[in-house]
Amino acid sequence: MEQKLLSLQDEAKKNLDQLVDAGQLEDFRIRYLGRKGQFSTIMRELGAVAPEERPRVGQLANTIKEEIEKLFEEKKVLLGGNAQSGAKGAKLIDLSLPGRYPERGRLHPVTQIMNEVCSIFEAMGFSVAEGPDVEQDHYNFEALNIPAHHPARDMHDTFYVSDSILLRTHTSPMQARIMESQQPPLRVIAPGKVYRCDSDITHTPMFHQVEGFLVDTKVSFADLKGILTVFTQKMFDKDLPLRFRPSFFPFTEPSAEVDIACVICGGSGCRVCKQTGWLEILGAGMIDPEVFKMVGYDPEIYSGFAFGLGIERIAMLKYGINDIRLYYENDLRFLAQF
Amino acid sequence: MKFTIDWLNEYVNTDGITSAQLADHLTMLGLEVDAVTELFQELAPVQTALVLSVERHPDADSLSLCQVAVGAETLQIVCGAPNVRPGLATAIALPGTTLPGGVKIKKSKVRGIESYGMLCSERELGLGSGHGGIMELPADTPHGQSFIHALGLSDTLVEVDLTPNRSDCASVIGIAREVAGVLRRPLTLPVESASIQSSCAMFSVDIESSELCPRYGARLISGVTIAPSPWWLRKRLLSIGLRPINNVVDITNLVMMEYGQPLHAFDFDKLADKKIIVRHPRMDELDFVTLDGVARKLDAEMLMICDGVQPVAVAGIMGGMNSEVSDTTTAILLESACFDPVLIRKTARKLNLSSEASYRFERGVDPGGCILAMERAVRLLCEVAGGTVEPGGVDKYGGQKPFNTLTLRISRTSELLGIPLDYEKIADVLTSIGFRCKEKDADTLWVGAPSFRVDIEREVDLVEEVARLIGYNTIPTSLPTVQLSYPEQDAKRIIRAKIGTLLTGIGYFEAINYSFTSEKHVQWLGLAENDPRCPFVRLVNPLSEDQSVMRTMLLPGLLENVERNINFQKTAIKLFETGKVFTPKGDNEQPLERMRLAGVLSGNRFGESSPYHCKQQAVDILDAKGAMEYLLQGLRLLKEGTLSPLRFTSPSQDQIEPFVDPTQVLAVSSGDQELGIIARILPAILRKFGIKQDVFFFDLDLDALCQLDPVAKNFTALPVFPAVNRDIAMLVPEAVAAGALVDAVLQVQDPLIEQCEIFDVYQGDSVKRGLKSVALSVTYRSSQKTLTEKNVEKVHTKIVNMLGSKFEGTLREG
Repeated sequence: MEQKLLSLQDEAKKNLDQLVDAGQLEDFRIRYLGRKGQFSTIMRELGAVAPEERPRVGQLANTIKEEIEKLFEEKKVLLGGNAQSGAKGAKLIDLSLPGRYPERGRLHPVTQIMNEVCSIFEAMGFSVAEGPDVEQDHYNFEALNIPAHHPARDMHDTFYVSDSILLRTHTSPMQARIMESQQPPLRVIAPGKVYRCDSDITHTPMFHQVEGFLVDTKVSFADLKGILTVFTQKMFDKDLPLRFRPSFFPFTEPSAEVDIACVICGGSGCRVCKQTGWLEILGAGMIDPEVFKMVGYDPEIYSGFAFGLGIERIAMLKYGINDIRLYYENDLRFLAQF
Repeated sequence: MKFTIDWLNEYVNTDGITSAQLADHLTMLGLEVDAVTELFQELAPVQTALVLSVERHPDADSLSLCQVAVGAETLQIVCGAPNVRPGLATAIALPGTTLPGGVKIKKSKVRGIESYGMLCSERELGLGSGHGGIMELPADTPHGQSFIHALGLSDTLVEVDLTPNRSDCASVIGIAREVAGVLRRPLTLPVESASIQSSCAMFSVDIESSELCPRYGARLISGVTIAPSPWWLRKRLLSIGLRPINNVVDITNLVMMEYGQPLHAFDFDKLADKKIIVRHPRMDELDFVTLDGVARKLDAEMLMICDGVQPVAVAGIMGGMNSEVSDTTTAILLESACFDPVLIRKTARKLNLSSEASYRFERGVDPGGCILAMERAVRLLCEVAGGTVEPGGVDKYGGQKPFNTLTLRISRTSELLGIPLDYEKIADVLTSIGFRCKEKDADTLWVGAPSFRVDIEREVDLVEEVARLIGYNTIPTSLPTVQLSYPEQDAKRIIRAKIGTLLTGIGYFEAINYSFTSEKHVQWLGLAENDPRCPFVRLVNPLSEDQSVMRTMLLPGLLENVERNINFQKTAIKLFETGKVFTPKGDNEQPLERMRLAGVLSGNRFGESSPYHCKQQAVDILDAKGAMEYLLQGLRLLKEGTLSPLRFTSPSQDQIEPFVDPTQVLAVSSGDQELGIIARILPAILRKFGIKQDVFFFDLDLDALCQLDPVAKNFTALPVFPAVNRDIAMLVPEAVAAGALVDAVLQVQDPLIEQCEIFDVYQGDSVKRGLKSVALSVTYRSSQKTLTEKNVEKVHTKIVNMLGSKFEGTLREG
């Protein structure tokens, strides 16, 4: 009898494991635990056991029955069924099937980076201003200390609409536009599209920039370094090495280019960083006194800094995009990656 | 600007500094190094050789059979050069070598005789144009050595990306000065100082405008023999990629690269009347052939160097054919002059001709350096070309500027840079590159900028020099102390951001297309000529016809994106773009820029969602309408279930866009204002864009949308009593719009009516032809009590009767 009990225990457990819906629970209950179930049947044989063995075997039978009942109750909870009512039709769900959710589009990677850049500066109290794409020569060049026939115009391959109207080549005209209409202190960023007649694997004729500037009394080059260091660390990695090196822009002096350690090779030199270990990410400088004079600020009282950065380039570095033309093909296989 | 380290070492000793360190120093001085390249690497396998014996090739008169020593080996070489002779030291390319021109040397048989390599000419080695024979190396050149080493060719080329302000560094000496400053090592110049007596009986110089030509120096060198330059000189030019021409021209080029002063050599005997006149061309002199053999059309604003009769050079840009130095030239008039940067830039632009000379003049050449550079060239002409310099010369210096002494405030410099500085530190760094400093008072320095620093004019220029020389990276970082203020947010940007969030939330991907487009797009769309989207803002200098006008609509760009994505097998396309469109106003006026939102959808409704849950289903016009409803509700411009001011209506026949399906188009409007449309595009139009499947779109005037007031968020108390729902199925003529039934129900003035929704529209077997069944669900609720069926019976009957009479409808049975 002891042997029978043990094999019944095994069989019942195995059967219980295989139950997948609440409807099967009742069958199980009747078969094993019911009044005419197998346990009851076995228990009736207890009388045939030798009297000295009887208490021990009786004990074992009870333990096994209790165990099976406990497992049965657990299974019942799991299958959410009510063994008594049978709850037909409740099936165990195949969890390997895909989840159900509405489809999700994405913002263009340029917009994503643009938003990220803007929010870093907005958190530092910069306001956001936008200006016209089709700009006057005056704001794009003259007001930025780039007179006609200045060699610095070579740095800007300009699309012209007429002699005095052009597609802005940078977002810097917003410096002049805002300073002209507002008084310091100023903290402004100006995101937008800019245009240059240049097209190859690293240049598209349209791209996006964010211009930023801060004008107040006693603003220093050290402050410029401070703000741009905060920005770069938030945008990339707080431990990323950063360097400032002298450069030239007619509307800032001193002028600087800001390099970050190459994010591709980590600074050891590769094709992307032209073996220098550094990647240029933005141009900056202290606003030139000539620019202040043109908008009627006294450069002896006010000082300030300005910076400009290319969004596509930052996106390329952050996301490892290797061909700038991908941005404007709007291929869903590309857009869905970000 | 290109130079080599070997060349640089002539002026400053860079021993102990690697090329990488040197590049880093220059970059951190603002002279960004673009590339550092080991030179002549392609000639590494070429060796020196000695010709031992020469016999005639048995089968070819023009070929020689030579025995050539290359180190320990003696090789048999067949050679066709006329100058091959015993005892000649030359260059050999052994089998396996690839020469710069791409020729691969193999062991070969030349007319039956084996040849184990090739003796090379200058041209074959990429070192010059001489193809008259094989290279003739100095007789004492040991054989079997690396050719590069034997000729001292191994060198490192450095390319600097010069900013336009640093014209002084468009010269090897300029670079050397910066290096000497940073390394604190002495600078050695080939000619330290020079002056000339401005008198020469042999020729005369007249300058019409000292504004345009501030200085003109000239000297006459006679007895010159034109010949190829010696090796050291050719090597210098070759190393930076300049082609050696002859000794005279090479010297002028060398000195230009050395000092940054463009020089020009005239054949003196070709100058009529032995005269130089610097003037504008006369009206009959406007045709001129420059040295490069191109006929140029001059204009009266340009400045020409003329002899007694006619122009002989375009001032500061290029000489003329008529005075070019040739093999027979014996007397040279050497010009070292200075021209107005704007004049040169304008002229170079107009002639579409830029040269090493114009590059330098445009950026500003130091008038103070003309005579020094000329002296250097004169000495070389005498030394290398065997000339004799005539005593005296000309130095017309009409444009001499008064010496500019600047003041620099120490406190101002410290404040602007954010680093404490004192007199010693400032004077120390400025003097290291040739500035002179003197203490004016406790806070001020007198600073004299060297004349070659044409970019230094103001105090702030000196501040930059100080920053650059102490090193940007030694300046600390700090954060500005500013007054706290709230940055005002641009409402339009906020709306654009919301649109992005809403539309991406229902599966739309954001596209960004170029602002410029092709004119043909509006033609494809069939817009009428007088359509406001037809006049374009045109680019004067577009990159291509496809990008020649500023867009007036967003749709064409998106259709191109649809076509591309279909080609790449995307089965579900939902794209949107927010961007500007441009309408011209007038010449020399900025156009009107308006922001629009457009979206396109095509293909599968459920996008990339799992096909297990969503069976493929093509999108239709209601998907486009739904996207707009969702968006406008999200922007709180359309309130669910109410009659809002924003309406979707069928446009009148004359207002339907020519490219849309007239049966599937909705106008979005607010009051009288048109905001945009939702429509299906005609298949015939799509085919022009290369699309063969249905495309739906929406297009909204974003600026107008931003002007609308969003529905305020006003709390309404939650209903206390339960609602009663009653369904109505009406059979109405099929032309009746289901939405009209809903509108009619909502217009019934009864406080119990809470909501009315369509839940089914049916046409088919059980419905009579020409009719359709519209099933509405009406929700009734009272704010006073729990409604019973009886309570709503009256109003419900009223609605049913109203619908019946208004739409010729009958209640559908069963």
